[in-house]
Amino acid sequence: MRVISDADLRGLAADLLAAGSTVWGPARVPGSPRPGVEYRPLREAAELDLGAGLPFLPLKQVFLPPTEPLFWWERKGTEVRLVPPAPPNRRVVVIGARPCDAAGADAMDRVMGWDYRDELWFARRDAATVVTVACERPADEACFCSDVGLGPSHPRGSDLLLIPHPGGYAVEEVTAKGRELVAAFPHRFREDEQVTPGETAAAGPPRIDLAGVQRWLADHFEDETWNEVALRCHGCGACASVCPACHCFDIVDEPDSLLAGTRRRNWDSCQTSRFTVHASGHNPREGQHARVRQRVVHKFQVFPRRFGRLLCTGCGRCTRACPAGQDLFEILTLVSERALETS
Amino acid sequence: MSLYQPHLMTIEAIQDETPDTRTLRLTFRDPALADSFSFKAGQFGEYSVFGAGECTFCIASPPTRRGYIECSFKAVGKVTRALRELEVGEIVGFRGPYGNAFPVDDWSGRRVLFVAGGIGLAPVRCVLWNVLDLRDRFDEVTLVYGARTVADLVYKRELAEWRDRPDVRLVTTVDPGGEEPGWDGEVGFVPAVLERAAPTGENAVAVVCGPPIMIKHTLPVLGRLGFPPDRIFTTLENRMKCGVGKCGRCNVGPVYVCKDGPVFTAAELAALPAEY
Repeated sequence: MRVISDADLRGLAADLLAAGSTVWGPARVPGSPRPGVEYRPLREAAELDLGAGLPFLPLKQVFLPPTEPLFWWERKGTEVRLVPPAPPNRRVVVIGARPCDAAGADAMDRVMGWDYRDELWFARRDAATVVTVACERPADEACFCSDVGLGPSHPRGSDLLLIPHPGGYAVEEVTAKGRELVAAFPHRFREDEQVTPGETAAAGPPRIDLAGVQRWLADHFEDETWNEVALRCHGCGACASVCPACHCFDIVDEPDSLLAGTRRRNWDSCQTSRFTVHASGHNPREGQHARVRQRVVHKFQVFPRRFGRLLCTGCGRCTRACPAGQDLFEILTLVSERALETS
Repeated sequence: MSLYQPHLMTIEAIQDETPDTRTLRLTFRDPALADSFSFKAGQFGEYSVFGAGECTFCIASPPTRRGYIECSFKAVGKVTRALRELEVGEIVGFRGPYGNAFPVDDWSGRRVLFVAGGIGLAPVRCVLWNVLDLRDRFDEVTLVYGARTVADLVYKRELAEWRDRPDVRLVTTVDPGGEEPGWDGEVGFVPAVLERAAPTGENAVAVVCGPPIMIKHTLPVLGRLGFPPDRIFTTLENRMKCGVGKCGRCNVGPVYVCKDGPVFTAAELAALPAEY
């Protein structure tokens, strides 16, 4: 089996940086109010910190930044000139993605590419090679990837999957991009007959009946459950910001002056009260129960039926981030139980 | 050029419809695009005022008239108020055409009934002119149009034109209290006026656009007149940003209004959660 040592993985990051690639990886952020690591563009390989669990923000920021310019505009007399943003670095490597994050980007590919192709998203996706490190254990009790059809060493969305073993990682080449990375830096990898492609933390048996959840969601649009689970929700939208698969965005103009400005897109959330307000003032999702329902039904019933993927990878970030203790897995468990009762 | 970068268009003409509603005629700056641009009745666009943002309206002129597009809007929000400040010769952005369309080609030989309220006449006007420009293909054409007051009726010059055409039946109405001296149209709400006018649903299609409350009370009337739900068409006006099925805003149950709509039949609407 092909393997890479801890030192060589860091060496690979250094090689890539030296070759002019942008290298993203989990790293401590000096002065950050949050403990733990964040996915960051590394300045040096030594910053890479693979032992500190799940970054607070998801990997989607690499492909869909929290805010990005769509174009700049400037006015001269009655003329208007539009300037598109520069294309991204053609060589981007993520080292140390988590499987839930890699799978989240894969789910987002479906919506970014149906019919109209979002070139800003795909320029970054195409440029990036995702090297994922499988999880040896759940980050904490909020994790539920094994309950949504994924797991701690699921390869979806990864180009290379690194499975930890003492002193290093077994290397699974998932895609052609992954193989190209190995081929470009052969001195960082070696063959080791002793290492077999074992499981890390094996995907446990699912604790919920996902098919039952989907069945129940499809025919319980109006149900008291939504009022119950929405009681905790403040509508702050934090869950969407930390979600590796939430793709909603806003488009806004930021004028610098009367003569020039930027049109940007920014992460947005269907949980906020004004998300769907019409110009007339009419709001199709007036109550918080309708917004919470939208989040759950869209992720687990509508999106999968339309795009063949759940829009949730079980990373548990929404549960960790919620200031009011909302717990998505708890909601799924409740729905799963109600599905059993009604089946 | 990314999906989100608009084409530049010049405001060629401005028509004030009511004190707060205005129609703009727009032409593409790029001559090649001006030649090649086409769309279908019912499709919409994202219109930009640089510095204020984008807003979503249907294309209110018919696809049968090439070389320009028109949009009609009420100045109610940040972008539409900014759009109202612009003058002839100034530049706006346009992305589109987006969304599905009225299946006008399938209506050959049928009667076509249009029912509109207020600014809802804008999407109806597009498909109405489309039908009138191909008049020979269709049977009777009827428009029932109402607004709160006489002053709130849009496209007044065109209403006069349609009134004078022998091949169009026009019924106009204003809400009770909205009439003024000299008003010779009906007084009453659109659904009641429609029921009195009683156009037949036999071999007919209906296009209904207006405030949600008007649509809600009009659908049962159409049912009584013999229009089956799959021959009643309307447009949904959900809030949109991207227009191309990415930003998530216009999602209603299983549909994305910007991609699967904005045109839906009453049969399709009945299957949707009421989040529109």
